[in-house]
Amino acid sequence: MNDVNFFQFVASRSDELIGLTIQHIQITGLAVILAIFLGVPVGILISKNKNMRSPVLGIANIFQTIPSLALFGLIIPLLGTGYVPSVFVLFLYALLPIIKNTFIGINSVGEAIIDAGRGMGMTSKQILTKVEIPLALPVIMGGIRISTVINIGTATIAALIGAGGLGEMIFKGISMASNNMVLAGAIPTALLAISIDKILGIFETKLTPKGITSQKDTAK
Amino acid sequence: MIELVNISKSYDGKINVIENLNLHINKGEIVVLIGESGCGKTTTLRMINRLNEPTGGTILINGEDYTKISKIELRRQLGYVIQKVGLMPHLTVGKNIEIIPELKGWDKQKRKERAYELLDVVDLPPEEYYDRFPHELSGGQQQRIGVARALAVNPDIILMDEPFSALDPVTREQLQKELLKLQDELGKTIVFVTHDMDEALKIGDRIAVMKDGKILQYDTPEGILKNPANDFVEYFVGKNRLWKTPEMLRAEDIMHKSLVTVGQKRSPAQVIEVMKEKDLERIFIVETETSKPQPPIGFITRAILREQGDKNVKMSSICNKNFVAIQHDAKMTDVLKIMEDRDARHLPVLDDDGNLIGMITTASILNLITKAVAGEEES
Repeated sequence: MNDVNFFQFVASRSDELIGLTIQHIQITGLAVILAIFLGVPVGILISKNKNMRSPVLGIANIFQTIPSLALFGLIIPLLGTGYVPSVFVLFLYALLPIIKNTFIGINSVGEAIIDAGRGMGMTSKQILTKVEIPLALPVIMGGIRISTVINIGTATIAALIGAGGLGEMIFKGISMASNNMVLAGAIPTALLAISIDKILGIFETKLTPKGITSQKDTAK
Repeated sequence: MIELVNISKSYDGKINVIENLNLHINKGEIVVLIGESGCGKTTTLRMINRLNEPTGGTILINGEDYTKISKIELRRQLGYVIQKVGLMPHLTVGKNIEIIPELKGWDKQKRKERAYELLDVVDLPPEEYYDRFPHELSGGQQQRIGVARALAVNPDIILMDEPFSALDPVTREQLQKELLKLQDELGKTIVFVTHDMDEALKIGDRIAVMKDGKILQYDTPEGILKNPANDFVEYFVGKNRLWKTPEMLRAEDIMHKSLVTVGQKRSPAQVIEVMKEKDLERIFIVETETSKPQPPIGFITRAILREQGDKNVKMSSICNKNFVAIQHDAKMTDVLKIMEDRDARHLPVLDDDGNLIGMITTASILNLITKAVAGEEES
């Protein structure tokens, strides 16, 4: 085994690695997209409804607090192993940052701005869509970014319950005591996390309304 | 135009922050609601556009119960300007002004024309400001945009909640002046909340002084200054403020009221006697000596009397009839101007029927300055 170096190993397994990487992106991507679809509306809801705020954030916090391995363990008796339970667990993980950031983003829109909007005759819906969401968008995007990056890491563990992805390569490498194999799983995972973080960072900047971007610039 | 009838407001269902408030605001008038914080002035204002709902009573706008139209519809008919301005930071100046026109479905061209027009009205060159963002503007410029935004769909009524309080004194004064100028041109009905008496006196056609959810006095600035309804109003206005506000002063406010006159039939000897007794250099002649004010015929000086040989001559025939008099409601500025132009040291003050009711002398002016200085020291 030692006569094959890392690059030769990667080259020989390139097809498999590409497949695993795509699988990895799919699992995380699907989990995050589902979390956005639930998390953003819930975040908006709790920014408007004070009574629901602490129970919702409390529940989301619990999922975030349970160690990932334990959560995967807990889900097996309920949903078994494989793709679906893996995505489900990753979805639960992605929820909190998205809900929390949406809530914070909406809630931090200045009171005077809302008051002016209401006073000049905007409906609650118009205030939400034309004022609150555009202003909260960078913060919401920040939450999505955090969720995604965390999930790329957590998804390696999902390989344990048969989700596939780059984690599979890592765990196989560990059991076979093959450094090359571990690294062939770990390095692409790390690169994936870093590059997705960068890409989403660019998105975040793009989504920030112009009036606010330049405001930050002048603040510097 | 706007009528608040028996309005009360309670936030917790127990304590009324506004109690049985009645307020009638005429078309084209600037009405200022003033009071210390917590007096209910802002609550009252916000009930007019239903940001706060009254607990009891009705509000009529143009004679109609304003709950007949939806809140949204109502608010779009009322301009609204607040202290913190509340411009949308993610929208350009132009888009901020166009928010309501856009929601109302005006086409792009019409919206832009209106925004340009309004930027001109508030004295910001449209070419330069239309595409800028709020944070690039000074506080004063932002509030100008706030005013332009309130005018966007040309409402007849504008509600302003301490719009200039957060600005520096120079900018504040400038915007106050411009508001008055704007008002002259556009003739809106404006309800204006402030805690600043100087501001209220400067811009208000009428002022409602509020305390504990009630209106203590609703009157013109002059009325508030000259006849405060009670001790609180007097204290709130500031006791000597009247003397520091020369534009509010009228001839009758500063004239000497205890006036000595003589009847036209008196003899020179008698008149000299009176003048000696009262230590007067000149005295006005009237028809007969009664306590009722009468028209002045002319005045006599000691010099005229000394030169007079005929001991039985009547005052009416020797008095100097060449004098300037001034109406009781003449402004201080006019009084001073006449005294200066004519080099007059004594200025008789006449009532509406031309009767002599008082006298303004150089001593009255000195007295006024003394009071103004005393007021300055007090505050």
